[in-house]
Amino acid sequence: MAVLNAPAVRRRRAMRRVPPVLLLFVLVPVVVEGFWVFWPALQGFYLSLTNWDGVSAPSFVGLGNYAEMLSDDIFGTAALNTVIWIVLFGGISAAGGLGLALLLNRERRGVGFYRAALFTPVVFSLVATSLIWQVIYQPDGVVNKLLAAVGLGSWQHSWLADPQTALYAVLIPALWRQLGYVMVLYLAGLKGIDPALYEAAKLDGATSVQQFRHITWPQLRSVNSVVLSVIIIDSLRSFDVVWSMTKGGPYHSSELLSTYMYATAFQSLRLGYASALAVVIFVLAFGVIVTYLVRAFREDQ
Amino acid sequence: MTSAAGLSRRHFLRNTGLAGLGVLGSSSFLAACATSVSSGPVKQAAGAVTVQSNLSSPQAKVAIEALAKAFGDKGGAQATVNTVASETFRTQLPSYLTAANPPDSYTWYPGSLLSGYARKGLLLDVGDVWQTMGNYSQAFRTLSGDGAGHQVFVPTTYYWWGFFYRKSNFAKWGVQPPKSWSEFLTLCETLKGKGIAPIGLGAGGTTPWTASAWFDYLNIRINGAPFHRQLLAGQQRFDDPKVKRIFDPWRQALPYFDPNGTALAFQDATTVLLQGRTGMVLTGTFFADAAPKDALDDLDFFQFPILDPSVPTAEEGPTDGFFASARTPHVAEVKEWFKYVATAESQELYIKNSSGTVLPANPAAKDSGTPLVQKGRKMLADAKELTQFFNRDSSDALQPTADAALIRFIQKPNELDSILADWQTAAQKVWLS
Repeated sequence: MAVLNAPAVRRRRAMRRVPPVLLLFVLVPVVVEGFWVFWPALQGFYLSLTNWDGVSAPSFVGLGNYAEMLSDDIFGTAALNTVIWIVLFGGISAAGGLGLALLLNRERRGVGFYRAALFTPVVFSLVATSLIWQVIYQPDGVVNKLLAAVGLGSWQHSWLADPQTALYAVLIPALWRQLGYVMVLYLAGLKGIDPALYEAAKLDGATSVQQFRHITWPQLRSVNSVVLSVIIIDSLRSFDVVWSMTKGGPYHSSELLSTYMYATAFQSLRLGYASALAVVIFVLAFGVIVTYLVRAFREDQ
Repeated sequence: MTSAAGLSRRHFLRNTGLAGLGVLGSSSFLAACATSVSSGPVKQAAGAVTVQSNLSSPQAKVAIEALAKAFGDKGGAQATVNTVASETFRTQLPSYLTAANPPDSYTWYPGSLLSGYARKGLLLDVGDVWQTMGNYSQAFRTLSGDGAGHQVFVPTTYYWWGFFYRKSNFAKWGVQPPKSWSEFLTLCETLKGKGIAPIGLGAGGTTPWTASAWFDYLNIRINGAPFHRQLLAGQQRFDDPKVKRIFDPWRQALPYFDPNGTALAFQDATTVLLQGRTGMVLTGTFFADAAPKDALDDLDFFQFPILDPSVPTAEEGPTDGFFASARTPHVAEVKEWFKYVATAESQELYIKNSSGTVLPANPAAKDSGTPLVQKGRKMLADAKELTQFFNRDSSDALQPTADAALIRFIQKPNELDSILADWQTAAQKVWLS
């Protein structure tokens, strides 16, 4: 017993004696994170339980702000638009990004140019991007001129001013940018696949579809979870492109939860209700991402 | 101690002087000096008044900087201008004012937002500055009060709204500015017949607020300025039959609106007007900031037609000026600065450096003297009442509710009842919070 006990005691003592430097390395980030991230987040949650105009003292209203959301039509529109946005923006950029990556993965002459060209939009600020697209969408802009040139003059539209099309018109510049980003993520994933697997598959006579189903797709699993997290987070925080093109208008038709939150906070100065909206966005993002990642990584083990 | 202060003062003056030269001269020179002004000497010249400015259009920025320089050159207190994009300025204003160490003075306009801040004790009482401003009209005095007997604002300039058009185009089309609503509609019909969109709007993109000018004018023409103010202050309802009534004449004019009116931002609407693709635009003189200099002489305007002669004529005459934070550590310097901007001399300097289409608030100051400005000044002087603008008479918080409602009306005039009901609901949330 004594013989067995001795090393255990020693080990416990060794564990208790953490080097001060290490302690510092842990504690400092915790304090910084706590002060700059968790404390404001908690404050935001507290504000969501109040009515606050940004100047006077906040007045506590309990869950009143959350109750108001249930009967708020604009919140409904914004939530629905956000779902549309996640499905279209997320779906198209994931599928399109993967498609482009597969297309541009093979080494051919000039492939570097295409990769660079598709990635270029990522480096522009979205605000600059939307300014350019705003011009493209103008009543006498490129889109309408092209439509007229190919004989589809009847399809001409004030794309950003029509509540039927505004949301989709804003979605396109966002996609234009996101596709290149997702493509690069997938390209990196494809580069990591061992070519020997494909050689073996070819020897066994697998078609390219079979190669994709049985080699590429399973091998891309970890990239997929990254892409999915990135897409959901990016969709929920999409703001700049909508704000700089339509401000959520005309009459809230292109409103997303993020733009509605901003407008409520800084235009209507209803910071309590805006904080409640922020909490909803946070719960959505965090909830989806965490459940997915936990599941994904548990399966990996 | 004194020698150090003297040195720093001299150092400061030299730098501001250089910066002033830089504004006039080469841009690289400007960049070098501008940084030296904002980083180095500001700290040393402890008495400098900081002026937080949202005047970011090039001409206005030059004008206010010239004003600060001339103020500094008088040898008393100094002022440094800090120009911020107006969207940032607006959203940051509550944080500026509640900060422990706020900027000293701010460009702004009077209105309900101002009196709201004043009620919370955030604005400096500048009553003693007003004692040196004896020649100002009673209207400006009332406008600059907080409603509780304190003066919290110093007006410097104001401007007018009207239907602006190009004289050469009207001559080319053989039309005259109208004198009544029916003449106005006839004019629109004539222009439409010539293939021109009669009325430009500019309520697209991020400037939907321009549509509020129509709402304001129809309301003050039909229901009068007092009702308009009550409505915007939350004492009347947007679904009131009196409000509903003002959309009848608007409906008559709607077929003559540029179909792209809600798709083009007002800067683009200005361009389209100058190119002669629209006939006229109801706008304020600020649009001239974006017009090329040679087009300025060709511009003219006519008054929004009278709809009901029994209603006392009111016009929109938005006023701009300055207020200060109650927590400023430089009370004496701020008041010196305010006394200066209230003088005829400083307002003339400002007008000379800007596009020249604004009017000085000081009755002794000369405006730029062009026929256009004379005409605008006379129109405002003849008005029985002045209103500010939708967001100034109500608040910036209420403006988005108007934007949503009015753009929807322009696009779907048949949904008026539900538009007004929704507007009232949205406005109520703003008033209650």
